[in-house]
Amino acid sequence: MEHILGAIEVLATTEAIILMLVGVAGGLIAGAIPGFTIAMAVVLTLPFTFNMPAHLGLATMVSVLVGGLSGGLMAGILTGIPGTPSSVATTFDGFPMARKGEPGLALGIGVWSSFCGGIISAVLLMTLAPQLARIGLEFNPWDYFMLVMFALTITASLSGKNMIKGLIAGALGLLLRTVGEDEAAGMARFDFGSDALLSGFDFIAVLIGLFAFSQLLNDVRDPEMAKKSLTQTGTVRVKIEHRRAIAEILKRWSIVIRSSLIGVFTGILPGAGGSIANILAYDQAKKASKHPEKFGTGIADGIIAPESSNNAVEGGALIILMALGIPGDVTAAIMLGALLIHDVVPSPSFITDEPILANSIFVSFFIATFFMLGLQSFMLKIFVRVTKIPMYMLATIILGFCGIGVFALQNVTFDLWTLLWFGILGFVMRHFGFPLAPMILGVVLGNIAELNLARALAITPDLSPFITRPWSLFFLIIAVFSALFPMFQGHREKKKTWTLFYLPVACFAVSIPLFMMSGITRPMLATIVLGFGAYQLWRRWQMGWRFEAAK
Amino acid sequence: MERLNRDAVIAIVLLLFCGVFFWSSFEIRTPDYGVLKPSTWPRVIIGVMSFLSLIYLVQSIRGVKEVATAGKSDRDPGIRSWISYWRNPLWCFGLFFAYLALLPVLGMLIDGIVFVFVLMGVLGGWDGKKPMIHGAIAVIAIGFMWSVFTFGLGVLLPPGMFLGYF
Repeated sequence: MEHILGAIEVLATTEAIILMLVGVAGGLIAGAIPGFTIAMAVVLTLPFTFNMPAHLGLATMVSVLVGGLSGGLMAGILTGIPGTPSSVATTFDGFPMARKGEPGLALGIGVWSSFCGGIISAVLLMTLAPQLARIGLEFNPWDYFMLVMFALTITASLSGKNMIKGLIAGALGLLLRTVGEDEAAGMARFDFGSDALLSGFDFIAVLIGLFAFSQLLNDVRDPEMAKKSLTQTGTVRVKIEHRRAIAEILKRWSIVIRSSLIGVFTGILPGAGGSIANILAYDQAKKASKHPEKFGTGIADGIIAPESSNNAVEGGALIILMALGIPGDVTAAIMLGALLIHDVVPSPSFITDEPILANSIFVSFFIATFFMLGLQSFMLKIFVRVTKIPMYMLATIILGFCGIGVFALQNVTFDLWTLLWFGILGFVMRHFGFPLAPMILGVVLGNIAELNLARALAITPDLSPFITRPWSLFFLIIAVFSALFPMFQGHREKKKTWTLFYLPVACFAVSIPLFMMSGITRPMLATIVLGFGAYQLWRRWQMGWRFEAAK
Repeated sequence: MERLNRDAVIAIVLLLFCGVFFWSSFEIRTPDYGVLKPSTWPRVIIGVMSFLSLIYLVQSIRGVKEVATAGKSDRDPGIRSWISYWRNPLWCFGLFFAYLALLPVLGMLIDGIVFVFVLMGVLGGWDGKKPMIHGAIAVIAIGFMWSVFTFGLGVLLPPGMFLGYF
């Protein structure tokens, strides 16, 4: 509690409040403009925070993140075009409600759902992260190495149908991270005789190039679309209806809680972000509803579910980042970059070693959620004006900003060339259907994996601890099953027999390392998982090893 | 079929890329200390990536649907059509390249303004009052950013030959 109070004290300054307000406002606008992602907004904020004290820089970035998560709903509800992939499902009911003449209510429900999701997520972040960090303290180099491998595998497996492309992208990220001097022995690698390459690619320049630069090029690809603004219509006059919105949400509190928990859980899972959470929450709300047929016609349930979940996602991603030092998604990877810029290396001991800084991240997440609520009405007016600016103008200005921002990070011109080459690489990869998220995680996690492998081998050259240590085995097993998951999905549609055994076998396999762990709780959990697997197997046997008929 | 061939070509390019990196990994010196050689980890990654690229190649040749990039291109075949289709990104790359090449001469402020002004003209057109509007936007936007970093954050941005002279 004293650390939380300490964090509040460092953030209760005029400077911090102004920075957070500006951050939330910037995030709201960036999130509201289709084509500009939250990751892009956060990564472009990084250069500004370079000279700030760590707690202020991180509070600003967290504010941009929170603003960006909520900004997408404005565009989605008013124009039918989701501002970010996290708000795709919001348009399903938000836009029809706005077209029925209730845009103020739709926005109000969206804003308050976002607020509730953010608060639930912030509370879970503050309570779960320290607990998870305690578990993280049990991790040895073998476990860390396997955790990174699991994070990369699951990110690739969640990148759609092209898993092979996701895995190649992840490997490419790992390989590009090896360019320059290696951290363990200090030997030059893949420098091809260039002094500039000897220091490797700056990680932030790579991120901005891969994500922001390539996205901007994508946005202006079509010459006609580039000249158009988001809205060609006249001034949109909307007043957010707060009271009615709160009443609607209170009537549906169970949807808020369920969707927020879906969001937090999705955020904890490496690689799965808001784009998955909002669809998942919408789908669950529809399945649980007494009137599923009304979904898509402009009902409150259809706005509450995606908006609560997408705001809760980042809390989940931050839990893993703060507790284990492993970024759950691209935005968390950028946050990791921000921490590294401020000489803070997140690890299980981070929360105990830097309690004020760690708690300032939790507290700023909490405060930014309140700022988001207060700023929505005001930013709505600015959003309407920004939507009148043609896309090519916005993209060009941001490209100019990228140049100055990337140079400012280290005052090295080579970083600008890195930005250009990785911008081209990102653009080409997008065009050929290669997902960028695994590559970014590969770049971010590459040296963590190598350093832990080096440490593990320095302790013993024996490779058996990778399968004899419970946590390492646990991550290895879930990495294998997550790698098989896309194949399982594809084959289940074709009703292949082996898919009947996927879930029971996964449960049996996961229970093994859990049984190997010390204490009472984990072996008990292993028994439950084993029992569930056995139940699933028994059900399949009862059905004569046939597939369940679709409901 | 065109898509399938394209995937196969990408797979071959990836295999060549792996080959170059694998060849280059022999130039990595091995120190007398440490258990993990500096070349081991990159070689493991290259090995995995080569294996994945090989699977990708086999899948593209065998015509696995999932591998082929979704969606059919909306442009006609031919180099002119290709350039016309990719006109805007090509301009962005080219102008950013020129921006970087001219940075030591013009400096961050002037170079940035010129880059934004020219790129806006190329993407948005030069007709009517547009050059004036683009010019004003370029000066205000880049001037503001340059001021924030130079005076607000104390970052020393490249002054170039002209501003550096003063």
